Amino acid sequence: MSESGGPDVTQELRLPWDDDPEELYEHAPCGYLTSLPDGTVVRVNQTFLTWTGYARSDLIGHRRFRDLLTPGDQIYHETHYAPLLVMQGEVHEIALEVVRADGRRVPVLVNSVLERNQGGAPRLIRTMIFNASERRGYEKELLAARHTAEAAERRIRALQRIVADLAAAPSEAEVAEAVVRAPEAAFEATSSSIYLVDAERDQLVAVASTDPTTGNWDDMPRSSARAVAEVARRGDLHVVGDLADAAEHFPDLAETMTRSGRQTVVLLPLTTGPADEQPGITVLGLLAFSFARRRVLTDGELRMIRLLGQQAGQALDRARLYDELGRREERASFLAATTRALEAEHRLLQRSRRLVERVVPEIADWATVRLHVGPAGLREDAGGPAPAEDLLDARIAEATRSVTPVFATGGDRLDCTVLPLTASGKVLGTLSLRMAADRRGAEAERAFLADLADRAGLALENARLYEQERAIARSLQRSLLATDVPAGDPRFALETHYQAAGRDLEVGGDWFDAFLITGRKLAVVVGDVVGRGLEAASTMGQLRSAIRALATSDNGPARLLEGLDRFCQRVESARMATVVYAEIDLDGCELVYACAGHLPPLLHQPAGPAEFLLRGRSGPIGTRAGDRRRTEHRVTLTPGSRLLLYTDGLIERRDRPVDRGFEVLGREFSRLRGAPLKGLAAALADTMVGREHGDDVCLLCLTLGAEERLERTLGADPLQIALLRSDMRAWLLGHGVDTACLNAVLLACSEAVADAIEHGYRDDPFGVVDVSATVTADAVEIRVADHGSWRGPEQARGSGRRLIEESMDEVLFDRGDGTTVTMRRRRGHAR
Amino acid sequence: MTTDRWVTFSRRGAAEAVHLKGEIDLANAHDIGRAIVARITLAEAVLIDLTAVSFLDSAGVRLLDVIVGELDQRGKPIRLVVGERGPARMTLQLCAFRNDLFAADLDRAAAELGG
Repeated sequence: MSESGGPDVTQELRLPWDDDPEELYEHAPCGYLTSLPDGTVVRVNQTFLTWTGYARSDLIGHRRFRDLLTPGDQIYHETHYAPLLVMQGEVHEIALEVVRADGRRVPVLVNSVLERNQGGAPRLIRTMIFNASERRGYEKELLAARHTAEAAERRIRALQRIVADLAAAPSEAEVAEAVVRAPEAAFEATSSSIYLVDAERDQLVAVASTDPTTGNWDDMPRSSARAVAEVARRGDLHVVGDLADAAEHFPDLAETMTRSGRQTVVLLPLTTGPADEQPGITVLGLLAFSFARRRVLTDGELRMIRLLGQQAGQALDRARLYDELGRREERASFLAATTRALEAEHRLLQRSRRLVERVVPEIADWATVRLHVGPAGLREDAGGPAPAEDLLDARIAEATRSVTPVFATGGDRLDCTVLPLTASGKVLGTLSLRMAADRRGAEAERAFLADLADRAGLALENARLYEQERAIARSLQRSLLATDVPAGDPRFALETHYQAAGRDLEVGGDWFDAFLITGRKLAVVVGDVVGRGLEAASTMGQLRSAIRALATSDNGPARLLEGLDRFCQRVESARMATVVYAEIDLDGCELVYACAGHLPPLLHQPAGPAEFLLRGRSGPIGTRAGDRRRTEHRVTLTPGSRLLLYTDGLIERRDRPVDRGFEVLGREFSRLRGAPLKGLAAALADTMVGREHGDDVCLLCLTLGAEERLERTLGADPLQIALLRSDMRAWLLGHGVDTACLNAVLLACSEAVADAIEHGYRDDPFGVVDVSATVTADAVEIRVADHGSWRGPEQARGSGRRLIEESMDEVLFDRGDGTTVTMRRRRGHAR
Repeated sequence: MTTDRWVTFSRRGAAEAVHLKGEIDLANAHDIGRAIVARITLAEAVLIDLTAVSFLDSAGVRLLDVIVGELDQRGKPIRLVVGERGPARMTLQLCAFRNDLFAADLDRAAAELGG
């Protein structure tokens, strides 16, 4: 296009870069299209025609630009390209594909400008088209590279996650679980399985698989010819590329691959030790994974697979150590807990029971303890089923004879371990057990069992010794307490009661004693030695003898206690014992007492309520902090007085404060005033502490002098009649009543009371019978009264009534409010 | 209630000997009776030794009465050994038991029944 209107003189002189505009248009390095607003091509340059293979005449006036595009791009043209062009007047770098005349596609980039006429209406569209074939190629390559990079990253991430899982897996089983999932996540494997080395049994054991329908799951020796064992021995990664490869080297693998439809298999040993140094590594297991389609692994992938093998191996190694540590800790805590559990029981039988209950089910499914104690021996069993008795007996005999454990071995018909239980070189018995099948690590297990046997032996020997000492202490205590207290003396009556602690405790050091110092002086004692068991029992015996020796007609209670203070300088175990000691002048009716740190005696005189004797107090025997100035106190007694000495077990109860205990005791003692003396001490102990008491209880009750008048109140219980007779017999003897009269009175009185209980109170178990008796110089008079209703037929009382009438001289029945029988029998009256 | 404190048994020739001991009264007579009956149901002859009894009341008397009655009915001999004196003898005499039931000596009574 010339700017000037003159002749073109420069035509011949045109410089090479001075292009002819027409030429430039036709052969520009890009395509040009001019089209009408409806898209109809009206002009096109040669470059475009060359690229697309169309003839100019094919396009001009015949085709729209959009007709040259692929179907997808035609839609894009309609929805984006055309509207944008109308709105903005131009579009840039639109990527499209043009379909060539031969049907192939040419990727292009398109710029278009919409020209408008002066009225603003669209006039024509100019379009410039760049060939983008190469650019698209680059793009595709870039995209592929990105895909590859992403896959690698995914793989690395999957591996990282697995490595993190491995680090967190505390046990071998959990490591195996994490490893077996790796190949699918990281390498798109079809399935995978993991085998672990059991070094002790020299075997490879399949432990997990993502597809258990494939493969051979039998355990195999490490020396097996199977592919898994072979590669594990070599210790290096092995890839079986295809079936032919497998058939050549590992027929067993080829068979499995065919059966489960696998083309490629990777066998990866899981190793620990220095990387890349074949001789130093240890193979702990093997990961096998396979692909349904033939798979070629890149060098990068192979590197990663090797890395997985090392990571997994290290995790396995760590988990094994951790497992071993855990097992060791478990065993140690089992032993500690067993020792504690055994210590909680003192008796031999209970301890043996505890032992088998600890062992079953924790470490065994069956166990028995047999001890050579006593004539029959001792035996405790737990769990089951019990093994064949004859085989077991033979093994027990063997272990006992050799004084060494006999362990169960593989294929052993008995399958039981027998451990001798020894203490100071002597076989006390045996512990036999059948261990649970899954316990591994036989060496460690044996050491553990030996340790268990040692502890059990010691604990059982201690229990045996305890049992022995306990038996001795009991018999010693019994022999000391059973010594007869004076009886049959009409001037006094004694009632004693000893009740051992309800729980299974050692014997205590409580004791009572009563003896005549002279013909008219009676001594009574209750004491309590510190501690329990054999030593307490023997100290109690020594103190008891010391008191008997020190009690003379000249020494009073205070001087006797001083003597005990001296005594405990030689017998240290007697120190801090508490004692209440009293002397009673039987003819003068006088009481002198002293309390060395002991609870105050309780006195009930016939008139008035019971009172605690709070004088004459000083500290326990041999006390260093307490008051050792021994004092005594004197009280004049009226005949019929009752004195109670007792140990602290009687009033100390966990659910009751001590002062309240005193209060209850005082009240109960007063309430039982009318009860027969016989059985009184036991009844008091029963009311005060019950059966399940935590301490020994020791009681001594003294009734002084023959009461002028015997008065008793009985419950409506036939058992009470014998108690009444005992009191009445003593009372009658005290008054010098002759035997015939005595027997007759006892019979008549019993019959009258029985009658009241049987008939008067047949409907009232809470009824009471009042009995009173008086003695004069020539006769005994008895009155028995009940407040019951008269129910029985006259006939039923026949034999009893007849006995009363036959044995007494005068009998009067009075039936008013209840029944009162008044009876009289002459003394010294031979019938 | 175990009655071993009050009653034991032995054989004297053909006779079953029942040895009573201690105080027999309303409280224990029933149980003692059951123990004795269980033992003598099939006996050919019975000796009841009361020499060690320190007290016997009407409940004890009723018990002995039942036993004597049953043996009489079966036609089997029975003797009550009560010694020369003592509470049991007193009670039984007061109740006017038949004199032919009493024996003073266990061995002699056993010989009598055995013959």
